[in-house]
Amino acid sequence: MDEKEIIRLTDSIFEESFEIEPGKLKPEARIFEDLGLDSLDIVELVVGLQKKFGVRIKETEKLREIRTLGDVHRFMLEEKARLEKGDASS
Amino acid sequence: MGLNRVVVTGAGAVTPYGRGVAGMMAGLAAGKSCVVRMEGWENQGGLKSLVAAPAPLSGEKAIPRQKRRSMSRVSIFAVQAAEDAMADAGLKAGDIPSDRIGCIIGSTLGSASAISEFYETFIPVRDISVIPSMLFFKSMAHTAAMNVAQYLDLKGYVMATCAACASGLQAIGTGYDLLKLGVQDALLCGGSEELHPSVTGIFDLLFATSTRYNDSPQKTPRPFDADRDGIVCGEGAGIVVLETLDHARSRGARILAEVAGYNTGGSGDHVSQSNRESVTRCMRKTMEDAGVGKGELDYVSAHATATVQGDQAEAEAICDVAGDAVPVSGLKGHIGHTLGASGAIELIATIGMMRSGTIIPGLNLEKVAPECAVINHVRKPLSRELKVVMKNCFAFGGVDAALILKKA
Repeated sequence: MDEKEIIRLTDSIFEESFEIEPGKLKPEARIFEDLGLDSLDIVELVVGLQKKFGVRIKETEKLREIRTLGDVHRFMLEEKARLEKGDASS
Repeated sequence: MGLNRVVVTGAGAVTPYGRGVAGMMAGLAAGKSCVVRMEGWENQGGLKSLVAAPAPLSGEKAIPRQKRRSMSRVSIFAVQAAEDAMADAGLKAGDIPSDRIGCIIGSTLGSASAISEFYETFIPVRDISVIPSMLFFKSMAHTAAMNVAQYLDLKGYVMATCAACASGLQAIGTGYDLLKLGVQDALLCGGSEELHPSVTGIFDLLFATSTRYNDSPQKTPRPFDADRDGIVCGEGAGIVVLETLDHARSRGARILAEVAGYNTGGSGDHVSQSNRESVTRCMRKTMEDAGVGKGELDYVSAHATATVQGDQAEAEAICDVAGDAVPVSGLKGHIGHTLGASGAIELIATIGMMRSGTIIPGLNLEKVAPECAVINHVRKPLSRELKVVMKNCFAFGGVDAALILKKA
Protein backbone atom coordinates (compact mmCIF):
# COMPACT_ATOMS: atom_id res chain seq x y z
CA MET A 1 0.00 0.00 0.00
CA ASP A 2 1.61 3.26 -1.10
CA GLU A 3 1.26 6.74 0.37
CA LYS A 4 -1.35 7.78 -2.16
CA GLU A 5 -3.54 4.79 -1.32
CA ILE A 6 -3.21 5.42 2.42
CA ILE A 7 -4.34 9.03 1.91
CA ARG A 8 -7.21 7.93 -0.33
CA LEU A 9 -8.45 5.37 2.18
CA THR A 10 -8.17 7.84 5.05
CA ASP A 11 -10.09 10.50 3.15
CA SER A 12 -12.78 8.01 2.24
CA ILE A 13 -13.63 7.67 5.94
CA PHE A 14 -14.19 11.41 6.15
CA GLU A 15 -16.48 11.21 3.13
CA GLU A 16 -18.42 8.13 4.20
CA SER A 17 -18.63 8.48 7.97
CA PHE A 18 -18.62 12.25 8.34
CA GLU A 19 -20.28 13.15 5.04
CA ILE A 20 -17.66 15.73 4.13
CA GLU A 21 -17.45 16.82 0.51
CA PRO A 22 -14.23 15.63 -1.17
CA GLY A 23 -13.36 19.23 -2.11
CA LYS A 24 -12.95 20.12 1.57
CA LEU A 25 -10.53 17.27 2.26
CA LYS A 26 -7.27 19.18 2.09
CA PRO A 27 -4.27 18.26 4.27
CA GLU A 28 -4.31 21.67 5.95
CA ALA A 29 -8.01 21.38 6.91
CA ARG A 30 -8.40 21.43 10.69
CA ILE A 31 -10.51 18.46 11.68
CA PHE A 32 -12.48 20.22 14.42
CA GLU A 33 -12.79 23.78 13.15
CA ASP A 34 -12.89 23.24 9.39
CA LEU A 35 -14.35 19.75 9.05
CA GLY A 36 -16.78 19.96 11.98
CA LEU A 37 -15.75 16.83 13.88
CA ASP A 38 -15.92 16.59 17.67
CA SER A 39 -14.46 14.29 20.29
CA LEU A 40 -17.10 11.58 19.71
CA ASP A 41 -16.24 11.61 16.02
CA ILE A 42 -12.62 10.84 16.87
CA VAL A 43 -13.74 7.51 18.35
CA GLU A 44 -15.58 6.81 15.08
CA LEU A 45 -12.45 7.84 13.19
CA VAL A 46 -10.34 5.29 15.06
CA VAL A 47 -12.91 2.54 14.49
CA GLY A 48 -13.11 3.54 10.83
CA LEU A 49 -9.32 3.55 10.37
CA GLN A 50 -9.00 0.14 12.02
CA LYS A 51 -11.67 -1.29 9.75
CA LYS A 52 -10.39 0.33 6.54
CA PHE A 53 -6.76 -0.66 7.08
CA GLY A 54 -7.38 -3.91 8.91
CA VAL A 55 -5.16 -2.85 11.81
CA ARG A 56 -5.42 -2.35 15.56
CA ILE A 57 -4.52 1.18 16.57
CA LYS A 58 -2.91 1.21 19.98
CA GLU A 59 -1.12 4.55 19.76
CA THR A 60 -4.18 6.45 20.88
CA GLU A 61 -2.02 8.96 22.80
CA LYS A 62 -0.62 10.17 19.50
CA LEU A 63 -4.16 10.76 18.26
CA ARG A 64 -4.61 13.46 20.86
CA GLU A 65 -2.05 15.56 19.02
CA ILE A 66 -3.89 15.39 15.71
CA ARG A 67 -5.14 18.77 14.50
CA THR A 68 -5.39 18.58 10.72
CA LEU A 69 -6.31 16.03 8.09
CA GLY A 70 -2.64 15.99 7.14
CA ASP A 71 -1.86 14.90 10.73
CA VAL A 72 -4.24 11.94 10.27
CA HIS A 73 -2.49 11.03 7.01
CA ARG A 74 0.92 11.17 8.74
CA PHE A 75 -0.38 9.14 11.67
CA MET A 76 -1.62 6.38 9.38
CA LEU A 77 1.56 6.42 7.28
CA GLU A 78 3.59 5.92 10.47
CA GLU A 79 1.21 3.22 11.74
CA LYS A 80 1.40 1.30 8.47
CA ALA A 81 5.19 1.64 8.31
CA ARG A 82 5.51 0.45 11.88
CA LEU A 83 3.20 -2.51 11.32
CA GLU A 84 4.90 -3.46 8.06
CA LYS A 85 8.26 -3.50 9.91
CA GLY A 86 6.67 -6.04 12.20
CA ASP A 87 6.95 -3.81 15.24
CA ALA A 88 4.82 -5.65 17.73
CA SER A 89 6.11 -3.78 20.76
CA SER A 90 3.27 -1.29 21.00
CA MET B 1 -55.23 24.53 43.39
CA GLY B 2 -57.16 22.75 40.69
CA LEU B 3 -55.67 20.42 38.11
CA ASN B 4 -55.05 21.63 34.58
CA ARG B 5 -57.09 20.41 31.66
CA VAL B 6 -54.91 18.85 28.95
CA VAL B 7 -55.39 19.07 25.19
CA VAL B 8 -53.82 17.72 22.01
CA THR B 9 -52.73 20.53 19.70
CA GLY B 10 -50.60 18.73 17.15
CA ALA B 11 -49.84 15.30 15.73
CA GLY B 12 -47.16 13.76 13.56
CA ALA B 13 -46.68 10.22 12.34
CA VAL B 14 -44.40 8.04 10.30
CA THR B 15 -46.20 4.81 9.50
CA PRO B 16 -46.02 2.00 6.97
CA TYR B 17 -47.94 4.40 4.69
CA GLY B 18 -45.01 6.84 4.88
CA ARG B 19 -44.45 10.14 6.63
CA GLY B 20 -47.50 12.24 7.45
CA VAL B 21 -50.84 11.96 9.19
CA ALA B 22 -52.86 12.85 6.07
CA GLY B 23 -51.31 10.01 4.07
CA MET B 24 -51.98 7.60 6.91
CA MET B 25 -55.63 8.64 7.16
CA ALA B 26 -56.02 8.26 3.37
CA GLY B 27 -54.45 4.79 3.44
CA LEU B 28 -56.59 3.67 6.36
CA ALA B 29 -59.76 5.03 4.76
CA ALA B 30 -58.90 3.26 1.50
CA GLY B 31 -58.49 -0.03 3.35
CA LYS B 32 -54.94 -0.43 2.04
CA SER B 33 -52.83 -3.14 3.66
CA CYS B 34 -49.16 -2.35 4.29
CA VAL B 35 -48.21 -5.92 5.12
CA VAL B 36 -45.63 -7.58 2.88
CA ARG B 37 -43.55 -10.73 2.87
CA MET B 38 -40.11 -9.73 4.17
CA GLU B 39 -37.27 -10.50 1.82
CA GLY B 40 -34.55 -12.52 3.51
CA TRP B 41 -36.53 -13.41 6.60
CA GLU B 42 -36.79 -16.98 5.33
CA ASN B 43 -33.07 -17.20 6.12
CA GLN B 44 -33.62 -16.42 9.81
CA GLY B 45 -33.40 -19.85 11.37
CA GLY B 46 -36.55 -20.94 13.13
CA LEU B 47 -38.59 -17.86 12.18
CA LYS B 48 -42.07 -18.95 11.16
CA SER B 49 -43.72 -15.56 10.54
CA LEU B 50 -42.22 -13.98 7.42
CA VAL B 51 -44.56 -10.99 7.13
CA ALA B 52 -44.38 -7.44 8.45
CA ALA B 53 -45.44 -3.85 7.76
CA PRO B 54 -42.25 -1.84 7.16
CA ALA B 55 -42.27 1.95 7.11
CA PRO B 56 -40.26 3.70 4.40
CA LEU B 57 -37.27 5.59 5.76
CA SER B 58 -36.76 8.80 3.80
CA GLY B 59 -35.59 12.36 4.23
CA GLU B 60 -33.24 11.46 7.07
CA LYS B 61 -30.36 13.38 5.47
CA ALA B 62 -32.27 16.57 6.31
CA ILE B 63 -31.21 15.92 9.91
CA PRO B 64 -27.70 17.34 10.39
CA ARG B 65 -25.07 14.60 10.66
CA GLN B 66 -24.00 15.37 14.21
CA LYS B 67 -27.62 15.10 15.35
CA ARG B 68 -28.28 12.06 13.16
CA ARG B 69 -25.19 10.07 14.16
CA SER B 70 -26.86 8.91 17.39
CA MET B 71 -30.08 7.87 15.63
CA SER B 72 -31.13 4.50 14.34
CA ARG B 73 -34.46 3.95 12.58
CA VAL B 74 -36.47 4.16 15.79
CA SER B 75 -35.12 7.63 16.53
CA ILE B 76 -35.32 8.95 12.98
CA PHE B 77 -39.00 7.98 12.87
CA ALA B 78 -39.54 9.70 16.22
CA VAL B 79 -37.69 12.87 15.23
CA GLN B 80 -39.61 13.17 11.98
CA ALA B 81 -42.95 12.59 13.70
CA ALA B 82 -42.04 15.06 16.46
CA GLU B 83 -40.96 17.71 13.98
CA ASP B 84 -44.25 17.30 12.11
CA ALA B 85 -46.24 17.38 15.36
CA MET B 86 -44.59 20.67 16.35
CA ALA B 87 -45.39 22.17 12.94
CA ASP B 88 -48.96 20.85 13.15
CA ALA B 89 -49.33 22.54 16.54
CA GLY B 90 -47.99 25.79 15.10
CA LEU B 91 -45.01 25.66 17.42
CA LYS B 92 -41.45 26.59 16.63
CA ALA B 93 -38.37 26.07 18.76
CA GLY B 94 -38.25 28.92 21.24
CA ASP B 95 -42.01 29.58 21.33
CA ILE B 96 -42.14 27.93 24.75
CA PRO B 97 -39.33 28.43 27.30
CA SER B 98 -37.20 25.36 26.65
CA ASP B 99 -37.41 24.07 30.24
CA ARG B 100 -41.23 24.17 30.10
CA ILE B 101 -41.45 21.77 27.15
CA GLY B 102 -40.09 18.23 27.07
CA CYS B 103 -40.80 14.84 25.59
CA ILE B 104 -41.91 11.40 26.71
CA ILE B 105 -41.41 8.78 24.04
CA GLY B 106 -41.67 5.06 24.48
CA SER B 107 -40.48 2.03 22.58
CA THR B 108 -40.23 -1.66 23.30
CA LEU B 109 -36.46 -1.84 23.76
CA GLY B 110 -34.81 1.11 22.03
CA SER B 111 -33.25 -0.01 18.77
CA ALA B 112 -33.21 -3.74 18.08
CA SER B 113 -30.99 -3.23 15.03
CA ALA B 114 -28.37 -1.30 17.03
CA ILE B 115 -28.42 -3.83 19.86
CA SER B 116 -28.00 -6.60 17.32
CA GLU B 117 -25.13 -4.74 15.60
CA PHE B 118 -23.36 -4.29 18.94
CA TYR B 119 -23.29 -7.99 19.73
CA GLU B 120 -22.67 -9.13 16.16
CA THR B 121 -19.60 -6.85 16.11
CA PHE B 122 -18.34 -7.58 19.61
CA ILE B 123 -18.86 -11.32 20.12
CA PRO B 124 -16.71 -12.67 17.26
CA VAL B 125 -13.65 -10.71 18.45
CA ARG B 126 -14.44 -10.01 22.12
CA ASP B 127 -12.78 -6.61 21.65
CA ILE B 128 -14.61 -3.49 22.75
CA SER B 129 -12.39 -1.19 20.66
CA VAL B 130 -14.20 -2.29 17.50
CA ILE B 131 -17.48 -0.77 18.70
CA PRO B 132 -18.44 2.59 17.17
CA SER B 133 -18.98 5.16 19.91
CA MET B 134 -22.46 6.01 18.69
CA LEU B 135 -23.82 2.50 18.87
CA PHE B 136 -24.79 2.81 22.51
CA PHE B 137 -26.64 6.08 21.90
CA LYS B 138 -28.46 4.45 18.99
CA SER B 139 -29.50 1.42 21.01
CA MET B 140 -30.44 2.52 24.52
CA ALA B 141 -33.98 2.28 25.82
CA HIS B 142 -34.52 6.07 25.78
CA THR B 143 -32.81 6.65 22.44
CA ALA B 144 -35.93 8.04 20.75
CA ALA B 145 -36.72 10.46 23.59
CA MET B 146 -33.10 11.55 23.92
CA ASN B 147 -32.71 12.17 20.20
CA VAL B 148 -35.96 14.12 19.92
CA ALA B 149 -34.96 16.29 22.89
CA GLN B 150 -31.51 16.90 21.43
CA TYR B 151 -32.85 17.65 17.97
CA LEU B 152 -35.59 20.02 19.09
CA ASP B 153 -33.61 21.51 21.99
CA LEU B 154 -36.17 20.49 24.60
CA LYS B 155 -34.91 21.12 28.11
CA GLY B 156 -37.92 20.03 30.11
CA TYR B 157 -38.77 16.43 31.04
CA VAL B 158 -37.04 13.84 28.85
CA MET B 159 -38.41 10.40 29.61
CA ALA B 160 -38.97 7.03 27.98
CA THR B 161 -41.81 4.78 28.88
CA CYS B 162 -40.86 1.18 28.34
CA ALA B 163 -43.77 -1.23 28.54
CA ALA B 164 -43.68 -3.04 25.21
CA CYS B 165 -46.92 -2.53 23.30
CA ALA B 166 -48.31 -0.08 25.87
CA SER B 167 -45.25 2.21 25.71
CA GLY B 168 -46.70 4.83 23.37
CA LEU B 169 -50.02 5.16 25.16
CA GLN B 170 -48.26 5.20 28.53
CA ALA B 171 -46.12 8.08 27.25
CA ILE B 172 -49.22 10.09 26.34
CA GLY B 173 -50.91 9.15 29.60
CA THR B 174 -47.86 10.12 31.61
CA GLY B 175 -47.70 13.43 29.77
CA TYR B 176 -51.35 14.02 30.61
CA ASP B 177 -50.66 13.33 34.30
CA LEU B 178 -47.67 15.70 34.38
CA LEU B 179 -49.47 18.50 32.55
CA LYS B 180 -52.46 18.17 34.87
CA LEU B 181 -50.03 18.90 37.71
CA GLY B 182 -48.60 21.88 35.86
CA VAL B 183 -44.94 20.89 35.98
CA GLN B 184 -44.65 21.52 32.23
CA ASP B 185 -46.54 23.70 29.74
CA ALA B 186 -46.25 21.29 26.83
CA LEU B 187 -44.91 17.82 26.11
CA LEU B 188 -44.25 15.87 22.94
CA CYS B 189 -45.53 12.40 23.74
CA GLY B 190 -45.82 9.14 21.87
CA GLY B 191 -44.01 6.05 20.77
CA SER B 192 -41.63 4.78 18.16
CA GLU B 193 -40.60 1.36 16.96
CA GLU B 194 -38.42 -0.29 14.35
CA LEU B 195 -38.86 -3.66 12.70
CA HIS B 196 -36.28 -6.36 13.26
CA PRO B 197 -36.54 -10.11 12.75
CA SER B 198 -35.44 -10.63 16.35
CA VAL B 199 -38.50 -8.72 17.58
CA THR B 200 -40.90 -10.67 15.39
CA GLY B 201 -38.93 -13.71 16.53
CA ILE B 202 -39.79 -13.13 20.18
CA PHE B 203 -43.51 -13.18 19.38
CA ASP B 204 -42.86 -16.17 17.13
CA LEU B 205 -41.28 -18.12 19.99
CA LEU B 206 -44.40 -17.51 22.06
CA PHE B 207 -46.69 -18.70 19.25
CA ALA B 208 -48.16 -15.21 19.03
CA THR B 209 -47.31 -14.37 15.40
CA SER B 210 -49.28 -14.91 12.23
CA THR B 211 -47.73 -17.81 10.32
CA ARG B 212 -50.43 -19.02 7.93
CA TYR B 213 -50.40 -16.06 5.55
CA ASN B 214 -46.74 -15.85 4.48
CA ASP B 215 -47.84 -16.28 0.87
CA SER B 216 -50.81 -13.90 1.13
CA PRO B 217 -49.48 -11.18 3.46
CA GLN B 218 -52.30 -8.71 2.88
CA LYS B 219 -54.74 -11.19 4.42
CA THR B 220 -53.10 -10.81 7.83
CA PRO B 221 -53.33 -9.77 10.64
CA ARG B 222 -57.06 -10.35 11.09
CA PRO B 223 -58.28 -8.62 14.26
CA PHE B 224 -61.45 -10.24 15.68
CA ASP B 225 -61.77 -12.49 12.61
CA ALA B 226 -62.55 -16.19 12.86
CA ASP B 227 -59.41 -17.01 10.87
CA ARG B 228 -57.01 -14.79 12.81
CA ASP B 229 -53.72 -16.43 13.70
CA GLY B 230 -51.63 -13.81 15.41
CA ILE B 231 -49.55 -10.65 15.33
CA VAL B 232 -47.80 -9.06 12.37
CA CYS B 233 -45.17 -6.53 13.44
CA GLY B 234 -45.03 -3.04 11.98
CA GLU B 235 -42.89 0.02 12.59
CA GLY B 236 -43.07 3.80 12.71
CA ALA B 237 -43.72 6.57 15.18
CA GLY B 238 -46.60 8.65 16.44
CA ILE B 239 -46.09 11.84 18.42
CA VAL B 240 -48.67 14.28 19.77
CA VAL B 241 -48.19 17.72 21.25
CA LEU B 242 -49.95 17.88 24.59
CA GLU B 243 -50.49 21.23 26.29
CA THR B 244 -52.38 22.52 29.22
CA LEU B 245 -55.66 24.00 28.01
CA ASP B 246 -54.68 27.38 29.47
CA HIS B 247 -51.39 27.39 27.60
CA ALA B 248 -53.01 26.35 24.33
CA ARG B 249 -55.64 29.05 24.70
CA SER B 250 -53.08 31.69 25.60
CA ARG B 251 -51.34 31.22 22.27
CA GLY B 252 -54.53 30.77 20.29
CA ALA B 253 -53.71 27.19 19.34
CA ARG B 254 -56.09 24.95 17.42
CA ILE B 255 -57.25 22.18 19.71
CA LEU B 256 -57.60 18.70 18.19
CA ALA B 257 -59.06 16.95 21.25
CA GLU B 258 -59.00 16.97 25.03
CA VAL B 259 -57.38 14.16 26.99
CA ALA B 260 -60.10 13.39 29.49
CA GLY B 261 -59.02 10.20 31.22
CA TYR B 262 -56.19 7.71 31.55
CA ASN B 263 -55.23 4.63 33.48
CA THR B 264 -52.49 2.08 33.40
CA GLY B 265 -52.03 -0.97 35.57
CA GLY B 266 -50.71 -4.48 35.81
CA SER B 267 -52.56 -7.76 35.75
CA GLY B 268 -50.36 -9.57 38.26
CA ASP B 269 -51.49 -12.68 36.48
CA HIS B 270 -49.50 -13.73 33.43
CA VAL B 271 -46.54 -12.31 31.52
CA SER B 272 -47.90 -12.84 28.04
CA GLN B 273 -51.64 -13.47 28.16
CA SER B 274 -54.26 -10.73 28.42
CA ASN B 275 -56.44 -10.94 31.45
CA ARG B 276 -60.10 -10.00 31.01
CA GLU B 277 -60.54 -8.75 34.59
CA SER B 278 -57.38 -6.66 34.44
CA VAL B 279 -58.29 -5.13 31.07
CA THR B 280 -61.79 -4.44 32.36
CA ARG B 281 -60.41 -2.74 35.46
CA CYS B 282 -58.10 -0.53 33.40
CA MET B 283 -60.87 0.61 31.04
CA ARG B 284 -63.28 1.17 33.94
CA LYS B 285 -60.79 3.32 35.83
CA THR B 286 -60.09 5.32 32.68
CA MET B 287 -63.81 5.97 32.27
CA GLU B 288 -64.05 7.01 35.92
CA ASP B 289 -61.12 9.39 35.43
CA ALA B 290 -62.89 10.92 32.44
CA GLY B 291 -66.30 10.97 34.15
CA VAL B 292 -67.71 8.84 31.35
CA GLY B 293 -70.53 6.36 31.95
CA LYS B 294 -71.19 3.00 30.30
CA GLY B 295 -73.31 4.31 27.45
CA GLU B 296 -71.34 7.45 26.76
CA LEU B 297 -68.48 6.18 24.60
CA ASP B 298 -68.93 6.83 20.88
CA TYR B 299 -66.05 4.62 19.73
CA VAL B 300 -63.40 2.26 21.07
CA SER B 301 -60.13 1.91 19.16
CA ALA B 302 -59.23 -1.60 20.17
CA HIS B 303 -55.78 -2.98 20.81
CA ALA B 304 -56.85 -6.05 18.79
CA THR B 305 -53.56 -7.62 17.78
CA ALA B 306 -55.32 -10.58 16.17
CA THR B 307 -54.11 -13.16 18.65
CA VAL B 308 -56.67 -15.83 19.42
CA GLN B 309 -56.75 -15.25 23.16
CA GLY B 310 -56.08 -11.50 23.30
CA ASP B 311 -58.88 -10.43 20.95
CA GLN B 312 -61.40 -12.52 22.83
CA ALA B 313 -60.36 -11.10 26.22
CA GLU B 314 -60.55 -7.55 24.90
CA ALA B 315 -63.94 -8.04 23.22
CA GLU B 316 -65.39 -9.46 26.45
CA ALA B 317 -63.86 -6.66 28.51
CA ILE B 318 -65.18 -3.93 26.19
CA CYS B 319 -68.63 -5.51 26.45
CA ASP B 320 -68.32 -5.55 30.23
CA VAL B 321 -67.45 -1.89 30.62
CA ALA B 322 -68.93 -0.18 27.57
CA GLY B 323 -71.72 -2.50 26.49
CA ASP B 324 -72.46 -4.23 23.21
CA ALA B 325 -73.56 -1.16 21.26
CA VAL B 326 -70.45 1.01 21.15
CA PRO B 327 -68.71 0.82 17.75
CA VAL B 328 -65.32 -0.89 17.90
CA SER B 329 -62.53 -1.30 15.37
CA GLY B 330 -58.81 -1.99 15.35
CA LEU B 331 -56.26 -0.80 12.80
CA LYS B 332 -53.59 -3.48 12.90
CA GLY B 333 -55.02 -5.21 9.83
CA HIS B 334 -53.85 -2.12 7.89
CA ILE B 335 -50.48 -1.28 9.44
CA GLY B 336 -49.56 -4.28 11.56
CA HIS B 337 -48.72 -4.03 15.21
CA THR B 338 -46.36 -1.11 15.59
CA LEU B 339 -45.73 -2.25 19.18
CA GLY B 340 -44.43 0.63 21.30
CA ALA B 341 -45.68 3.11 18.70
CA SER B 342 -49.11 1.54 18.25
CA GLY B 343 -50.91 3.39 21.04
CA ALA B 344 -49.75 6.74 19.72
CA ILE B 345 -50.21 6.04 16.01
CA GLU B 346 -53.67 4.57 16.53
CA LEU B 347 -54.66 7.42 18.86
CA ILE B 348 -53.65 9.90 16.15
CA ALA B 349 -55.75 7.91 13.66
CA THR B 350 -58.63 8.09 16.13
CA ILE B 351 -58.26 11.87 16.31
CA GLY B 352 -58.44 11.84 12.51
CA MET B 353 -61.70 9.90 12.74
CA MET B 354 -63.07 12.38 15.30
CA ARG B 355 -62.31 15.22 12.95
CA SER B 356 -63.74 13.55 9.85
CA GLY B 357 -66.73 12.09 11.67
CA THR B 358 -66.14 8.68 10.12
CA ILE B 359 -65.11 5.48 11.89
CA ILE B 360 -62.71 3.39 9.82
CA PRO B 361 -63.43 -0.34 9.94
CA GLY B 362 -60.70 -2.88 10.62
CA LEU B 363 -59.14 -4.69 7.69
CA ASN B 364 -59.44 -8.45 7.16
CA LEU B 365 -62.49 -8.74 9.38
CA GLU B 366 -64.42 -10.98 7.03
CA LYS B 367 -66.16 -13.27 9.50
CA VAL B 368 -66.37 -12.15 13.12
CA ALA B 369 -65.16 -14.91 15.41
CA PRO B 370 -68.03 -16.20 17.58
CA GLU B 371 -66.00 -15.62 20.75
CA CYS B 372 -65.48 -11.97 19.72
CA ALA B 373 -69.06 -11.35 18.63
CA VAL B 374 -70.14 -9.80 21.93
CA ILE B 375 -69.37 -6.25 20.73
CA ASN B 376 -70.43 -3.99 17.87
CA HIS B 377 -67.76 -4.44 15.20
CA VAL B 378 -67.59 -1.68 12.60
CA ARG B 379 -67.65 -3.53 9.26
CA LYS B 380 -67.85 -0.58 6.86
CA PRO B 381 -67.10 3.16 7.18
CA LEU B 382 -69.52 4.57 9.72
CA SER B 383 -70.48 8.25 9.87
CA ARG B 384 -70.92 9.38 13.43
CA GLU B 385 -70.09 12.36 15.58
CA LEU B 386 -67.36 11.14 17.91
CA LYS B 387 -67.53 13.14 21.12
CA VAL B 388 -65.94 10.59 23.46
CA VAL B 389 -63.53 7.87 22.34
CA MET B 390 -61.29 5.37 24.10
CA LYS B 391 -57.98 3.86 22.98
CA ASN B 392 -56.76 0.57 24.45
CA CYS B 393 -53.27 -0.92 24.64
CA PHE B 394 -52.21 -4.14 26.32
CA ALA B 395 -48.64 -5.28 26.65
CA PHE B 396 -46.43 -8.18 27.53
CA GLY B 397 -45.80 -8.22 31.23
CA GLY B 398 -49.50 -7.89 31.94
CA VAL B 399 -49.42 -4.11 31.45
CA ASP B 400 -52.68 -2.46 30.44
CA ALA B 401 -53.33 1.13 29.41
CA ALA B 402 -56.38 3.02 28.21
CA LEU B 403 -56.97 6.66 27.39
CA ILE B 404 -60.08 8.69 26.66
CA LEU B 405 -60.29 11.70 24.35
CA LYS B 406 -63.17 14.14 24.17
CA LYS B 407 -63.96 16.30 21.22
CA ALA B 408 -62.67 19.82 21.77
